[in-house]
Amino acid sequence: MHNVWLIARREYIERIRTRGFLITTLIIPLIMCGFIYGSAFVYSNSESAAHIAVVSSDTQLVLDLQAELQQRLQARHAQPHSTRQTGIAVDAIDARPRNEQATRALLDRELDSGDLDGFLWITPAPTPDKAQPARPTFTFTPRSSEQDSLRGPLAAALGTVLMREQLAHRGIAAADANTILQPVDITAVRAPHRQDRESAEVSVTLLFFLMYMVISLYGMNVARSIIEEKTSRIFEVMLATIRPQEMMAGKILGVGSVGLTQVGIWLSAALLLSASTIAANLGGQGIHIALTVAQIVYFFVYFILGYAFYSSIAAALGAMTNSEHEIQQLNLFLVLPLFVCFITLKSVLTYPDSAMARVLALIPPFTPLLMYLRVSLGHPSRWEIFASIALTSACIYAIVWVTSRIYRVGVLMYGKRPTLPELLRWLKYS
Amino acid sequence: MPIVQLHHIRKVYDTKVAVEDLSFTIEPGTMFGLLGPNGSGKTSSIRMMIGITVPDSGSVSLFDRPFTRSALSRVGYLPEERGLYKKMNVLDQLIFLGQLHGLSAQVASRRASLWCERLDIVEAIPKKTEDLSKGMQQKIQFIAALLHDPDLILMDEPFSGLDPVNSFLLMSTLVDLCSIGKAVLFSTHRMDQVEKFCNNIALIHRGHLILSGSMRQIKSNYPRNRVLIHYEGGEGFLQHPSIEHYKRYNGTVEIRLRPSATLDDDVQSLLAQAVAHARVTRFEVMEPTLEEIFIEKVQQTLPVGNDHELSMAQLDQPNAGGLDA
Repeated sequence: MHNVWLIARREYIERIRTRGFLITTLIIPLIMCGFIYGSAFVYSNSESAAHIAVVSSDTQLVLDLQAELQQRLQARHAQPHSTRQTGIAVDAIDARPRNEQATRALLDRELDSGDLDGFLWITPAPTPDKAQPARPTFTFTPRSSEQDSLRGPLAAALGTVLMREQLAHRGIAAADANTILQPVDITAVRAPHRQDRESAEVSVTLLFFLMYMVISLYGMNVARSIIEEKTSRIFEVMLATIRPQEMMAGKILGVGSVGLTQVGIWLSAALLLSASTIAANLGGQGIHIALTVAQIVYFFVYFILGYAFYSSIAAALGAMTNSEHEIQQLNLFLVLPLFVCFITLKSVLTYPDSAMARVLALIPPFTPLLMYLRVSLGHPSRWEIFASIALTSACIYAIVWVTSRIYRVGVLMYGKRPTLPELLRWLKYS
Repeated sequence: MPIVQLHHIRKVYDTKVAVEDLSFTIEPGTMFGLLGPNGSGKTSSIRMMIGITVPDSGSVSLFDRPFTRSALSRVGYLPEERGLYKKMNVLDQLIFLGQLHGLSAQVASRRASLWCERLDIVEAIPKKTEDLSKGMQQKIQFIAALLHDPDLILMDEPFSGLDPVNSFLLMSTLVDLCSIGKAVLFSTHRMDQVEKFCNNIALIHRGHLILSGSMRQIKSNYPRNRVLIHYEGGEGFLQHPSIEHYKRYNGTVEIRLRPSATLDDDVQSLLAQAVAHARVTRFEVMEPTLEEIFIEKVQQTLPVGNDHELSMAQLDQPNAGGLDA
């Protein structure tokens, strides 16, 4: 045990001291922050003011629509907790003077140049009947699918405008009409001790990526450091005093502690930042790290499981190969399961208690990342949490058993990469 | 109490027999040379002595007990494939390796400084290993093997790649250690290097033990029929009837005499003739060298007509070739 400690300590100290550690510790959070604030910035900007054109022969209708949209925007500004303040600026285009084709061509050009986000074409009803007016037809052409979301607010505003017109026809006073058409306002109030789901999702997704990144990064570090020791031939000196298993354990623990330290630094920095006022100023009302203690504890539990799982596989890969180049070819064994977690992220995030999520989260290679998502956002039962930890631990034990055998023989092999039958022979050999 | 006892050990890798039925014993205070050409099983044997690999059959005893890993704290090992952490500071590295052998950090640090002084590389202490010359790295590795004051010192090709000054420095260090009762084993394919220093040797070829015992005893089994002459002048004495064959260099000739009961007389008459023909500056009568003994033994042991193996053995030794004239 003393030897494992010595190896782990050396590995830890030598790695913490490197410039690379300092750089990744600083740069990765910067990249992440940049990504988050960048996307938040783009998000808020894209929502701010949509610019559309309305083509109609009925100028009054367009004027009413403009007024209605303006009024809605002001009403929303007045609300205390509004998040979306979407204004829609409307240009009125009279359909009469030009022919339809020329107008469409002009509008298409403006869509292409980005001056317009879309245009609404109002075709009057074929037979205007004063007593029983039929509704005109509306077609909306958005610039891209992104602007399709403008249809909802436009339809709502048009609905109100048309309704007001009808009410006026039936002789109801404008003031009464306004009272009738008063929009219903539902104020969202958070349940006590429940976090805002949205910000929890953001935080948990961040931690998911953090875990994903650190596990694959440090898993590869284990493999790389084994190869480095093989190349520098230090193994033989070491093996003259200690067992290969001790070396492997020390290496995995040492490298893993570096990873834990790094994650620890990031998390405490993030928590400190979000607790302070700086974050509120920086992030506006958008993002803040919202995590419970249980979520952090589970993060570390599953992070350690995941790291142990993947780094022992990486140790075996390192022991089997002789160069970085060769390890790149075998890298698939590490990357593929992690990638599966990555592509199921979206669906597990949205439906953390679905049958698929429940099954996947119990499969050891996926457990660390997916079960962590479920624990944080879903409602896994106690036995599921227990089973996930037990299964993964059992699997790690088996991998370490196999790996330590591969390691024992592999580290002294300098020649070509072993074939599968040779590997099987290594397992029997003891 | 023997320090090392190998008892009929055997090791097979896949189809290649690395070591076959090898037995020898190393006593305290001996300088033991494990000799043989490249690929003869020297490194495999050493690895089995310290449990890096396990013999397929036979047994290894260290310090008069069957091998256990706890004995390793009393063994110092310099592997043939040198290895140090490149990015690590020399002192940290020595302390780390010392700690793995059970030293405390303070003791390891003190001894590391003492050893660096003794081997004249104090200036290397604060440097990173990768910034050192190859010879210096080798000295560091040498120190790493000795830091924990081992009773058994195993050196696999300790002098390869070292200049004569440093080779001599390391060799005399080993001789000093030997004289205070440590057992030293070193392997080499350069047999000329070890003749002077070894008390005991084991010669192996293709995993088989060919010859072992004390140096003096082995040599005494061979007649003193080699003559080395440095001369200036005529070469007529080379026609002397007792000469079996000779090899001539610039002003130097190595002579092998015919086996005979009156070898001493033959030598005297050769000397007389040489003096008659030339001006002799050096005249030395010797036993055959280890190389010659080795080659002779290999020829005896191997099946007849196996010339190929012999030439391989000779190729591996740059100084071999004394029989070619």
